[in-house]
Formats: sequence, C-alpha cells, structure tokens
Amino acid sequence: MGSDAFEIGINLLKMILIFLMMVQLVPVLVWVERRGSAFIQNRFGPNRVGPLGLTQLLADAVKFLFKEEFVPPKSHALLYYAAPALALIPGAIAFGGIPLSQPMHIQAFEMGGQMYGPYTFPFQSYDMGIGIIFILAISSLGAYALLLAGWGSNNKYSLFGALRACAQMVSYELAMGLSLVGMIMLYQTLHFQDMIELQRGPLHFMLFGKEVLIPFLPNWGIFYQPLGFLLFATAGFAETNRLPFDLPEAEGELVAGYHTEYGGLKMLLFYIGEYGHMMVASALITTFYFGGYELPFGWSEPLTQTVRSYFTSVNVGEVMAALVLHLVFMAKVVFFLWVFIWVRWTLPRFRYDQLMDLGWKTMLPWALANVLITALLLLYAGTPGV
Amino acid sequence: MVELVLFYSLAIMVVLAAVGVVMASNPLLSALHLVLTMLGVAGLFFLLHAPFVGAVQILVYAGAVMVLFVLVIMLVDVNHLEVKFVGGKISALVKGLAVGIFSGLIAAMTMRSSIQIKEIAGDQSFSMIEISKVLFTKYVVAFELLGMLLLVIPIGVVALSRIRGGTHER
Repeated sequence: MGSDAFEIGINLLKMILIFLMMVQLVPVLVWVERRGSAFIQNRFGPNRVGPLGLTQLLADAVKFLFKEEFVPPKSHALLYYAAPALALIPGAIAFGGIPLSQPMHIQAFEMGGQMYGPYTFPFQSYDMGIGIIFILAISSLGAYALLLAGWGSNNKYSLFGALRACAQMVSYELAMGLSLVGMIMLYQTLHFQDMIELQRGPLHFMLFGKEVLIPFLPNWGIFYQPLGFLLFATAGFAETNRLPFDLPEAEGELVAGYHTEYGGLKMLLFYIGEYGHMMVASALITTFYFGGYELPFGWSEPLTQTVRSYFTSVNVGEVMAALVLHLVFMAKVVFFLWVFIWVRWTLPRFRYDQLMDLGWKTMLPWALANVLITALLLLYAGTPGV
Repeated sequence: MVELVLFYSLAIMVVLAAVGVVMASNPLLSALHLVLTMLGVAGLFFLLHAPFVGAVQILVYAGAVMVLFVLVIMLVDVNHLEVKFVGGKISALVKGLAVGIFSGLIAAMTMRSSIQIKEIAGDQSFSMIEISKVLFTKYVVAFELLGMLLLVIPIGVVALSRIRGGTHER
C-alpha cells in the first residue's frame, strides 16, 4: 500500500483512474465498432447525432439509464442481478495488473513544510510480483458471469448460451495458458516489467555460440514466438467471446444467448465486461509480443529525455515521460482493439463442433509442440539477447 | 492492523461460505458458495505472502474445477435434484456427521500438530522458482505419480463413455 499518507493516497488514486480509463474507453470502442462495421460493410453507420455521430454515445448512455427495469418472472433474482456486476469485475481487476507505462521514480520533495520521501510508483493499479499468473487466474473467473446470467434468467436460450460459453472458455483457457509457457521460458520471468525490458533494442540473440544481430527488426517477442503469438491471439478471441467464437450469443440460433433477458444498464455492464476483456487481451498481446510501452530500437530513451527537458521540476518531468510512454502503449493497444473489431466483421462464425475441434485437437497439440520446440532450442541452440 | 482486519474479514467470509455450501438447498447455490470459499482461501494465501499458491488456487479451483461443477449441475434437473438433496432424515444425519467429523479433524490438526502456521508464513521463500526447484528435485517422484493419478481420470471417463450403455457406445 505505502509507507505514508501521500503514497497510499496516490496508489488509491491510481486504481480509480485506471478503472475509470477502462470504463471510459468502452463508449469510444462502441462507436468505433459501429462506424467500423459500417465502413467494412459499405454502410454509413450512426452519423446523424453530432459530428461523425460521436454524440450518439451520450444518447445511448441516456437510453441505457432510462430503460424500464425488468426482471423475468420465475428467475433467480440474486443470480440475475449479480451476473452483470460479475461480468465487469474480472476484466477491471485484470486490467489493473498490467503495467501501462514505465514506473515513476519520484525524488524527495517538500510540501506544506513536510518532507516526502523518494517513492517509486509503478504505472499500474497493483503489482503482485507473479504478473501473468494472477491475470490468467482472475480472467478465468469471467465464466461465472455468463453462467449465472444464463441460469438466473430462467430462459432456455440463455441457458444454452451459458453452457456454450462455459465449455468454450474452459477449453480455450488451456491453450491460452500453454501458448504463454514458451514466452515465460524465454524470458525466465513472470514479471511484466522485466519482460518489457528484455524486449529493448534491435533483434539480437545467441545462436550456436555466435551472436546474431538483425538491425532492422526490434527485439520483440513475436519474432521469437510467432506460433505462440498466433495461438495466444486466437485464444484471446475465444475468451472474449468475439465473433469467430461468439457462439454463446449466436443471434441466429439463440436470440442473444446468455443476455437474452437483460436490458438497460444491466445489458451495458455485460458490454463493458466484454470490452474490458478485449482490452486485457490487447494489453497482454502488446506486453508479451510487441514490446509493451517501449518504442522499438531504443527510441524511448531519447523521447523521454526530450520530454523531461521541457520541465524544470524533475518530478513533473518524470511523470510526463511516463505519460508519453503510456500513450505509446495505448497506441499499440488501440491497434489490437481495432484488429478485434476488424476480425469480427470479416470472419463468419464457427460451428460448435468446429470450435471444439479447433480448441482441443488443433490448438492444444500445437501449443504443446511450441513448448517442446522452445525448450529444445533453449537447451541446444541459443538464448535471446538482453 | 490492516492485515488483521483483512484476515478476520476473509476468515469470516470463508467460514460463512463453507457453512453455506452445506446449508444451501439448491445444489447450484451450494456450488457457488464453494467458489466463494475457494476465493477466500486464495485471499488468505495472498495475506501469507504466497501469491503463487493463491493465484493457482483461483486458477485451478475457482476458475476451472468449479466452473465444470456448475456446468454439470446446470445440465441436470435441479428441482428434481433439490428434493433428493434436501429431503430425508438420513441425508440430514449424514450431512451433520460429515460436518462434525471434518471440524473435529481440523480442530485436532491445528491443536496437536507440530507445524506452526506462523513459522511457515514468516519464511518468505514462496517464490515460483523455489517451489518448482523443490517439486522437480526433492519431490519429483510424488509429483510425477500425482500426474499419473490425474491421467487415470480422463482415461477412465473415455473408457466409461465407450462401454455398452454409455454416451459414446461403439
């Protein structure tokens, strides 16, 4: 938590700000999704309310707030109301554990006649020290929201959606975890910040005792683990229940799946949960395979130096440098969020047996092979450069 | 001070949820109470500076095992099950006996055991690297045997579904 009131206060403030940032990105993403889908399908999309249809978001928010409150009869009231809240929590907690920028080293300063000591604030809500395992654990709880929604609404379509969602999430969690094992073996750490630091500079590694340097490529994880990246991204799509894998809410067969009986604000909470999971998946892809908040080729060092030189106070410069790197991170995350939307409006839905075949008979063996090949290469061929 | 408050609130949550597992008449609610118990135990592990054990507790028990429990309960007719689950003096007797035996065992363990919980918690060598070193050197035989034991379960399930009258009968 912190040693004094200032540190505790800043840490709490950080948690609230990161949560608010996550929630505030959702309406923008909804707008991007609707306009993007219209762009892809050669339509106009919502373009009437405000410039580019941007204030459509406000109109939607008002609509969600003022819709009639409705509880289906014979539903289980507690579970029915608990499910939307549960949909929001895992995504929000998981997003807080990912470093969104470099840690801020604040030097000792005086405020109101009192000295406040040197601090180090990581640019994330909390740092458990086990990084990815805790994120995977928390996001695995997301299945309960769909299960409770499906069972609590007392509706056959909802129940079918919930059952599909549950089987799908449990199946793909396995491939997701295994696809990351290769990455963890390469970097020999579970900590996000250490991983990002190992991805600095141009691509260089040891191969059979010789150092190989490829100056035109950054030292990113995707060049070491292309198969792992493909598997992780696919499993990420399945875990967020987005379109090639959106069987839990397949509208052609199940009306709306697990959220058939939900409307208004409760429906909105499910949306925020889905987009929250998307953000977590994008942030994890960025951190593991695309260098996190670092610019390629060590450009972040001169950039932060330039930002620091604009401010007389060292501490303000430090905070501003972290914020600039945060923008770099968010640019990468937003790109992957766009990929999520792009894929949704490009690919058709899988059939259920195809989904299970892909998860158990294709992705799981390939993920295991990836682990084996990575281990053999690490033992006999070489190691990544630092 | 903060740790004490956190410990007691988590401990009360775990105990209440565990009571709920036994007392709930709806099997689904019973399973959900068990999820809460698992989460509370994971929180207690975090308090003991064992984040890896806590996270694995959530990942394996709350995230995978209990999801499958809930899935199976959803597939069966709950109303029919509820009658079987609640009704009868014998089932109540068995429930009471189970609770009594388990609490007696745990009380005896904590009072008579030579292992001091505080001692282990004070030693902060719960890092993943330490755990894996011990697992793959000192306890490697037991670890591999446990793996074999788990392997028996999927093979058994496949074999059971393949026999006459099973869901995947040949």
